[in-house]
Amino acid sequence: MTDSRDPGQRDLAPAEPVERGRFWRRAWRAVARFSVPRFGLRTRILLTFSLGFLALSIFLAAITFSFTKSTLIKQRERASIDQTYHDASVALNALNSGPVGGQGVINTLTAYGIARPLLNYQDAWVGSAAGFGDDAIPSAMKVAVINNQTPARMVITVDGAHVLVVGVPLPEVDASYFEFFSLTEINDTLRSVGLSLLFAGFITTCFGIVLGSVASRRAVKPLGDAAQAAKAIAGGRLDTRLETSDDNDLRVLANSFNDMASALQLRVERDARFASDVSHELRSPLMTLAASVQVMQARRDDLPERAQSALDLLVADVARFQGLVEDLLEISRFDAGAIRLHLEDLLVAEFVRQAIGVSSLPNTPITVSDRAEGLIMQVDRRRLARVIANLIDNARLHGGGEPEVTVTEAENDGEPLGHVWIAVEDHGAGVPVEERHLIFERFARGAVAGRRSSSDGAGLGLALVDEHVRLHGGNVRVEDRRDGEPGARFVIELPAEEVGV
Amino acid sequence: MLHRVGTRILTVEDDERIRTAVKLALEDEGWTVDEAGSGEEAIELFHRGSPDVVLIDIMLPGIDGFELCSHLRKTSDVTIVMVTARADTHDVVAGLEAGADDYLTKPFAPKELSARIRALLRRIRPMSPGHTKLVFGDLEIIPDEGKVLRAGVELHLTKTEFRLLVELGQNPGRVFSRETLLDKVWGYDYFGDGRLVDVHVRRLRTKVEADAANPRHVVTVRGLGYRLQS
Repeated sequence: MTDSRDPGQRDLAPAEPVERGRFWRRAWRAVARFSVPRFGLRTRILLTFSLGFLALSIFLAAITFSFTKSTLIKQRERASIDQTYHDASVALNALNSGPVGGQGVINTLTAYGIARPLLNYQDAWVGSAAGFGDDAIPSAMKVAVINNQTPARMVITVDGAHVLVVGVPLPEVDASYFEFFSLTEINDTLRSVGLSLLFAGFITTCFGIVLGSVASRRAVKPLGDAAQAAKAIAGGRLDTRLETSDDNDLRVLANSFNDMASALQLRVERDARFASDVSHELRSPLMTLAASVQVMQARRDDLPERAQSALDLLVADVARFQGLVEDLLEISRFDAGAIRLHLEDLLVAEFVRQAIGVSSLPNTPITVSDRAEGLIMQVDRRRLARVIANLIDNARLHGGGEPEVTVTEAENDGEPLGHVWIAVEDHGAGVPVEERHLIFERFARGAVAGRRSSSDGAGLGLALVDEHVRLHGGNVRVEDRRDGEPGARFVIELPAEEVGV
Repeated sequence: MLHRVGTRILTVEDDERIRTAVKLALEDEGWTVDEAGSGEEAIELFHRGSPDVVLIDIMLPGIDGFELCSHLRKTSDVTIVMVTARADTHDVVAGLEAGADDYLTKPFAPKELSARIRALLRRIRPMSPGHTKLVFGDLEIIPDEGKVLRAGVELHLTKTEFRLLVELGQNPGRVFSRETLLDKVWGYDYFGDGRLVDVHVRRLRTKVEADAANPRHVVTVRGLGYRLQS
């Protein structure tokens, strides 16, 4: 009572804030989901490494490039300025020494190997043939050097090429000396440096990708191992454990995983042992019951009528009890993995006929297809006889009795599958599609058993069929009758081959 | 009823209630039943009462079922039926090798037990007139007298071993499958345990063969069964 009311009361008061908080959380999550695609851990590690290395190489390349560039340009500028001052002093000396004129100075300089000198002497411009004219120099620079008498330098573009122009005023002789220096080599150098850096960046990024994939694989491997171990445990190999590693973080994971597995194993084993112990303990009183009931049954006619009815009930239920205990024992053997099959090569048809003969309905009709007559299978004959007996019991108890058995070679569109189908068809209500997988569960109760109504019902019979057939490398399924009439068709499929093959 | 009047059965079982109930059921079959609660008690009763069949539960306090079985076998060819907990363990083979003739798994119906006992106590069908013995080399079988001689020396076989040998010998050269032998010797249907045949053949060889590891008389025909030859 209190349990069911409490949460309700707690829910009422803070409804709105919770709603609002939830809205924002949801909104944030939507945004986050939109902006960050959900990658797997491996992809994330790989991306982190690759992008990290890419960013690092871009950063380093940019620094290297700009540093190289500024150094180169500074050097070039300094050298150019020095050169210009030197050439200017040569020009000054020449102009001071005699009436050589502007052209004479230029000729002298060209003779020294100066490629692009330009002289403004007494407001006239004189340059070399290979050099540039004054129109190449921006007027601002002309003003600075000629009018304001301050040395200046500037990078200009002539015909698409970068050119450094340095201007030095020579006030003593009313002249200004300019010289042009090509920056093309620097650009070439910078281009090759850039290319090298690009290549280095590419290599670094590739290295990052490789490192990232190695790292991600290493990072994810323990997870993969854990997943595999968990799968193995789910598959029944309860003694599966993770290797404990040297890594502290991973050791925690491995240890707690192993602790969990041990606890699980202990528990499963305890449960299995309990079921096994219970059934073992039940066998002794059951022996006494079976023997005593038989003694009483031999004297049934001496008993009053009411006692006879009671005895009949006792006899029937002792038999049922005995069957149940045997089933329980068998199933606990399955759980303990203690089943050892005595496999023999048997003729399928002969075996099924014999198995029907010892079942609860020994006169059940059997049809064997021509091809199935020659099939042999490798089975534990007593265990598989139990399977047939259980299916026939099932048909007797839930399928309205009078089952029919058919043995056919398994085929798919006429292609033989190397298996045999042993089918038991009944005339009961059939099994609805949604309950077909439940029917092979242990003590399958609820809707399944209710529908199939019988006090004998829900036991371990079909669960044992499933376990036995699987242990023989086959499977069991339930479907509709082939002829369309109401009723169920239980089919066991087992590996079989033709005699002599 | 096929069993002879006055058949005496000794049941060895430590659970008193089971013992009593089984005794009641077996007495209904017209048999005389002695009870022993332990191996020691069983040995004493065995020598005093000389039973025809001993029913031994493998799980006994003190001397266990296997020991009791081999102890009795040393001096007697009495029919022994073992009761084991499970059919698919080594217990069955160990019990048969200790000398048991057949086994049952607990819980069994007393009807099953009496059917087993009756099958094991069946008489060998008499030889056709004019034939009194079967000869296979140095091996001489006289079914009507229950005697087997090797090189003129009489061998001590249990009743089941003897029946197995006679069954094989009555159709010289024929190969008997396990199923056939289970049916003829033990009275089992299709679902008998083939290990009964295998262990009994092993035991038989230690007695009738000069070298049990290289049998000359009781030979295995691979995939088919067994055959008796000279």
